Order: sequence, then structure tokens, then C-alpha cells
Amino acid sequence: MRILEEGKGDYLKVDPDGYRAYIRDHKPHQMVSKLTTEKDAVERLVKDGDYLAYDCNYYTRGPASLLREIMRQKKRNLWLCGKYTYVDCAMMVDAGCADKIDIGFIGFGPWISRSVRENKCKIYEYSNAIMTLRLKAGAMGIPFIPARSFGGTDGFLRSGCKVVEDPYTRQPVVLLPALNPDCAIIHVHQADEYGNSRVFGTGITHQECALASKRVIVSAEEIVTTDEIRRDPGRTSIPHFAVDAVVHAPFGAYPGTVQGMYASDPAGVVEAMGAMYRGDFSDYLKKHVYSVASHEEYLQKVVGIEKLIEMKRREGIKEGYAI
Amino acid sequence: MSTPATNFNEREFVICQIARLVEDKYIYWVGGGGEPLSSVLLAKRFNAPNLQYLTEDGVVGPEAIVPFDPLMTMVSSKANYRALQWSTMNYAADLAQLGYVDVGVLATLQVDRYGNINSTVIGKYEGGEGRRFGGPGGADSIAALTWRTILVTDQQKRKFVERVDFISSPGFLDGPGSREKHGLPPNSGPWRVYTPWAQYGYRSDCQLELQAIAPYVTVQDVLNEMSFKPHIADKIGTLEVPTEEELLVLRTQIDVAGQVSDRGRWIEFKDGKYQFA
Repeated sequence: MRILEEGKGDYLKVDPDGYRAYIRDHKPHQMVSKLTTEKDAVERLVKDGDYLAYDCNYYTRGPASLLREIMRQKKRNLWLCGKYTYVDCAMMVDAGCADKIDIGFIGFGPWISRSVRENKCKIYEYSNAIMTLRLKAGAMGIPFIPARSFGGTDGFLRSGCKVVEDPYTRQPVVLLPALNPDCAIIHVHQADEYGNSRVFGTGITHQECALASKRVIVSAEEIVTTDEIRRDPGRTSIPHFAVDAVVHAPFGAYPGTVQGMYASDPAGVVEAMGAMYRGDFSDYLKKHVYSVASHEEYLQKVVGIEKLIEMKRREGIKEGYAI
Repeated sequence: MSTPATNFNEREFVICQIARLVEDKYIYWVGGGGEPLSSVLLAKRFNAPNLQYLTEDGVVGPEAIVPFDPLMTMVSSKANYRALQWSTMNYAADLAQLGYVDVGVLATLQVDRYGNINSTVIGKYEGGEGRRFGGPGGADSIAALTWRTILVTDQQKRKFVERVDFISSPGFLDGPGSREKHGLPPNSGPWRVYTPWAQYGYRSDCQLELQAIAPYVTVQDVLNEMSFKPHIADKIGTLEVPTEEELLVLRTQIDVAGQVSDRGRWIEFKDGKYQFA
């Protein structure tokens, strides 16, 4: 295949055979209970230097409690999959956890340029859907995937993508390197103890994320029985064998929303946004991350029951979520 | 029945311009919230009651409940209410890549002569010197994969530049044939650019053409707020102001909290003409 143009950015090494062998040797093929705490899951499954993907973001059905736990445990040198994010990348860089980001969309603010200037963070440019396609390739066990977008952009030049002559049509086509993150954290509506998980409503790329990643932590609003999963198998979004740990995390997306279950907390959303715009998360992290030892304690001491009830009350729309 | 309004702001003006272009027979991909979403939602109340649009999280044809909570434009129950289908991001991009999506509607930071879009950095990219923004998000897919795009931005010199500081999402890149050379689908690309002052299209050389202006500015006013001289249509049209009916719906049903339109200068009808208040 003739390469017509190449981006110059670093990208996570593409190794579908290695990933296949990893799945054979390390993934839990047997149904085993994986229920645990945020603390234990993050201690065991998130490692310094990991490429970390997370589905959705800090504001919409994101794994906010797991992100806070990662910051609490001061994980280091993470490479983030920054598709469709708002404050999360900024927060993780500011907390000293991440120093590389593949960007689809990140929250604005002075932090980006400053981190790059101070050499605290390296940035690689993609788009949201280019990142989700890379994960799709990773979830298909193939080394790359063609796309009809992204070519001609300045992001392309700083990415790991290539334009080649398509051997079938002889036309130029963009190729994206498959992405197999070391770790993925995904927040879902319901899961059983084995990790069979249900996401209701729209999403970004939870299924691809789970299948493409070596280690997967699922946090769930509700833990349901396997009988409940079997009652409506068409609603299983992620199968148990892709999942390494299951954490019961009610309000795990706080301050964000989980569609059909609770609305966001606008004050909590704005507070994090404000920290990002100021380019300083220190007060935010002190209050929302370091002041407590667990998500449970966070909900009790920092958020408070009144707010949680109000968030539940404000989510008036249930149609389609079947919870 | 429609009554031309006598008091409105620039933002409301541009939302109404885009809303009037929206048709039931097309499928739209709307980037984020802001003017693009307000425009299509307004169209649904008037000229496109069976409006179909997608957003990046794979929602097809929702009947969104507005206003949203802050930043809840996607993956949230109000934004995705009563849709025809719920899916995920790759599906939205697939639909556009297949050719189902007729029109993309986008807001942007900076645009150039060839319709290239910058939402990444103002100033120098390398070394973190420039002022950094969020990146393309879904705009790259919209700009590359829909058949044609409508772009909305402000009429300011720093927004209309000869060459964008960073191509986040493709317009016509370097001109005719350039999109295809870089692997993008043929016969697609920029179609219209709207600002609160003007409407632009593109000529066959893929370069921006000023087509019409708002009644409260002159062609010279518009050109003064561009860093380059675009093609100018032989006959410059005058854009119609919002109607009272459109404004009533926009203000009471769509942008109730003023999140989108509560910016920009006000225009009034005074002494027989529209002028800035």
C-alpha cells in the first residue's frame, strides 16, 4: 500500500497479536464475581504510565468516582484518551496524574497552553470520532481502520494517522492506528457482580472502550442479579469477560447526570468549570478528592443527601431508560 | 402571517437566518448547543415540523426539551428526549460517512477563504504559545462527512482570516480537488457561512463569496471586519430581519434562559431604518 502522507505524532504501539494473547492469558473467561471498591479496583488495575480511556466525561454518565479515586491515589504519567471531555483532562493534568493526552475535545482554559509550555503535558491532536474509531479498531482486533475524515487537517499532521492509496478504489484514504488502552473506566446504569453491564440511552463509546482495553473497571449505579440480565439480554452493553472489576457506585457520575436516573448538579458542574477556567484545581481537588477516603464518604460529607435527592427529583424523564 | 420585528439582537438575527434554511427533507448534524441547535429547534416550530437531526452521541431525530442544564447538550435525557433512535458516537459518524447526513451546522472560532475551520488555537500552535481552545470535537466529522455545511461565527476581523492558524476541521483545504487528495469524500464541503451581519457562499474556485448583508450594515462595514477581501456577488441581497413570531418562540420556548442569544448588539427600527441601538 502506497503511503501518501503521514502524521508525525507518537501513538500507542499497535499490537493486535499481543492484545489477542493478553485476552487469552489474562481476561476472566470464566464467570467470577468481581465486586469490589473503587480503592481496590484502582490500586490493582490502574498503573502508573497506563494509557487510560474513560467513557463519556465528568459531566455526563462519566466514571467520576473512579477519576477521583485515581487522583486520590496519585497515579502518575497516565496517557489520556481525551475524546468528548470537559474538565476531566484539565483536572487529571493539574492533579499530576496525566502527562499525555490524545485530544478529541477538551475543556478550554489557560491550563492547556501552560501545561505544554511548562512541558508538563504532551498533546496529540485527533477528533472525537477519530478517537472512537481508533477504539473500534482496537475492539475488532485489527491493526488499523480506514476513515473518510480527518485528512487535510493540521491535527492529522500531529497524529499517528496516515493517508494511503486504497488498494481497492485507488483513491486516497485515511488510516487510523487501532487503540488498545491499558485500562478503561466506564460508568453504567446497571451491572451484575460478574460485569455484565447495561448502559441506557445514548453513549459515546462504552462498548468499544470495554472490548479494546486490557483492564476494565466498571462502576454501576445499581448492581442487579444475573437473572435480571438474562431476562432482557438485548440490553447487555458489555459482557462480563471484558470486565475486570465491578464497583457499586451510586451517584458515581456526580456532579454529572446519568440519563433516566438523576440530573446533573448545576452548582457542582459550574464549580469544576470555574476551576478549569481559572487554571487552578487545587481548591477543588482539596475539597472534592483529597478530603475524603472514598466515594461513599464523599457523598455523605461533601455532597450531602439533600443534593442527591434534588438531582433524582430533577430527572423527570424516564421514558426509554426502563430502570 | 409574519410581522418584521423592530427590536432584536444580532444573535437572534443570525439564528433566524439559519432556521429559515432548514427543511424537513434533509437530515442535519448539529454541533454542540449554541446557535446551531437553537436554529434547528426554531425551524422545527415553523418551516420544518418533522425536523431530523443527529448529535455526536448517536441520537437520531430527538425532540429536545430546552433549556438544558449547563453543559448538558449530549448524553442527557432532555437533549435526547423522544428520539427515533439512540446509539453511540461511531454510529453518528458512520451515518455521515455513508452519506445520510445532508447538512452539518457548526459554530466556529475562526474561518478562512477556503472555509477551513479553526477551533484549536489562536496564534502559534507549537510550544503552547498561542491561546488554546478545545479542539475539533465532532466538528471534523461534520465538516468532512456531511454533504454540505452551514457555519456560524462572528463578523470580526480576527475570525475571518486569509488562512486559519490551525485547520481543526476541513473546509476546501487548498482549493478544488484538495479534499479528495486528502481522503475526504468528493462533492462535499462548505456551503454557507453566517454572521450577525452577513451571508456568504462559495464559488466554484472554492473561495468565500459575500452574498447578502443585514439591513443595519453596509458592504463596507462587513469588509472592514474581515482580514481578507472575499469574492463579492454581483448583486448583494438584503437579509430579512426576524419576525415577531419567530422571536416570541425563540425567547419563550427555545432560548428561555438567554444562554444563547443574550449576547451581541441590539438593533432597532428607527427613523425608517434598522440601526444599532
